[in-house]
Amino acid sequence: MKINRSIAALLFGLALIASAVVLAPGASYSRQERDATFAAASRQHMAGTDELGRDRLVRVSAAFLLSLAGAIMASALTTAAAAGVGTLAAFGPASVGWLAMLVCDVFLALPWLFLLMMVRSALPLTTSPANSAAITFLVLAALGWPACARAVYRGALHLKSAEWMLHARASGLRSAQIVRHAIPNFFPLLLPQFLVCIPAFVIAEANLGALGLGVGEPLPSWGGMLLELDNSAMLMQTRWVYFPVALLIVVLLLLDAIAVEVE
Amino acid sequence: MKAAAAVPKWLGRALAIVLLVIVGSTVLVRFAPGYLSDAREMDSRYADAARAELSHEAARSRSLPRMLVSEMGGWLRGDAGLSRQYGVPVFELIRPRLAVTGGLMVRSIALAWALAILAALVSSAGRNPAAIWQAPSTLLLAIPTAAMATICLLANSGGPVLVMALLLSARDFKFLHRALRKAWLEPHVLQARAQGMKTWRILRFHLLPSLTAQLAALATLSIVTALSALVPVEVIFNVPGLGQLAWNAAMNRDLPVLLAITIIMALAVTCSGIAPQRADEWRNA
Repeated sequence: MKINRSIAALLFGLALIASAVVLAPGASYSRQERDATFAAASRQHMAGTDELGRDRLVRVSAAFLLSLAGAIMASALTTAAAAGVGTLAAFGPASVGWLAMLVCDVFLALPWLFLLMMVRSALPLTTSPANSAAITFLVLAALGWPACARAVYRGALHLKSAEWMLHARASGLRSAQIVRHAIPNFFPLLLPQFLVCIPAFVIAEANLGALGLGVGEPLPSWGGMLLELDNSAMLMQTRWVYFPVALLIVVLLLLDAIAVEVE
Repeated sequence: MKAAAAVPKWLGRALAIVLLVIVGSTVLVRFAPGYLSDAREMDSRYADAARAELSHEAARSRSLPRMLVSEMGGWLRGDAGLSRQYGVPVFELIRPRLAVTGGLMVRSIALAWALAILAALVSSAGRNPAAIWQAPSTLLLAIPTAAMATICLLANSGGPVLVMALLLSARDFKFLHRALRKAWLEPHVLQARAQGMKTWRILRFHLLPSLTAQLAALATLSIVTALSALVPVEVIFNVPGLGQLAWNAAMNRDLPVLLAITIIMALAVTCSGIAPQRADEWRNA
């Protein structure tokens, strides 16, 4: 548990540093300095600039915060939806359970990336960057719940046949009273699902962005920054192009470590 | 007998899933906010009349029942509809790419399984701490596929098969390591080891039979993971497969092509999920 706390503290520290960088006076992720393109690391631009002369450190920090916030919100939505569906399927009538699991099977049969690509490509051509970011994470949340719902369903079934539950029923407790006692037992089931979804969503957004179907420019995103690696001219100029990838891997390792520890 | 009777039930469920996938994907595409907009409408080279005709053409395909009938009809005819971008039957675009993607997936999965099984056998039987073996797989899983593919391309080392195999083997290793670690500690295996039975005999007669169901489930997981990794790998390495076609269709808003590929992928996942379940049922029958 100590490791878990120190990893969480490290991640929180990174988020604080990123916030400080983004909110620093004069910092802007979209301001272009056309006479300072591909600039090397300096006091003014600590991680250099990109091909449009935008500060790479500010962009990476903003991408980190955007991706983390988006993934956390999408994961919360997914977990809430999975909790609702899983609980309903386990405690509701058998037909409802069967139908819910069939819907889960349909979603699980669809590979995420293809469905994400389909929805993203069908968006209006004039979608704003902020909307594209919101839609990307909303779609991730909408597609991510079935796997979680299956896990919650299995856990809820286990809970349903638990001795204390049978005892409560035999003692004549009303459904509402039973649910009140059951809710705290769901948290150990939902927390790992919530934590596992966060790195999965961060990776999905990065992969989608690297294909040019993620968050729209000029809003920074991990995926958009991975696209920089395709620019051979930039690679010849500076090694700082690898900085976003390195930070992304560190963040994903930290998120994964927290999820594994809790699991 | 019981297992044989369950076949139609499973086939029916698989068919229902595929039909629901077709209906669900079509509904999703139809109600996506930009479905009726066409990239050509923003092209100044088109005359106003041509642009009006494009809008009119889009409006004609507005009706959902008509879309569903057309989609189903395309599949029944065997052409899967007409590509918006190329104006040719979708299946003509898909057919030559199926073999490319299939070959890539088979080679990647085979290499990944070889790597994962070897690593899991050594790690689960040895006395080294699990963390030493898990660290490389954790690191590999933390690298987005697109980044791994780009870095391999830049380093001029490894191709699409290696990238997909690394990703798959990292995931498979975690699963296999856990299953094997547990299997090595089973009382009958411990007794066999204490009696001095050779390792390969323990593996052949005690471990592998007890892991059949889990290996079958892992095969499904490998296919699903490989399908997800297909797009970035094929796009970055310029492999003319289904993933590249899907990406091209997504960039050019060619939704009939994208829809057809999604349905094929769903079909592959559904079929791969049924095989292990059937194998398990027959084994237990």
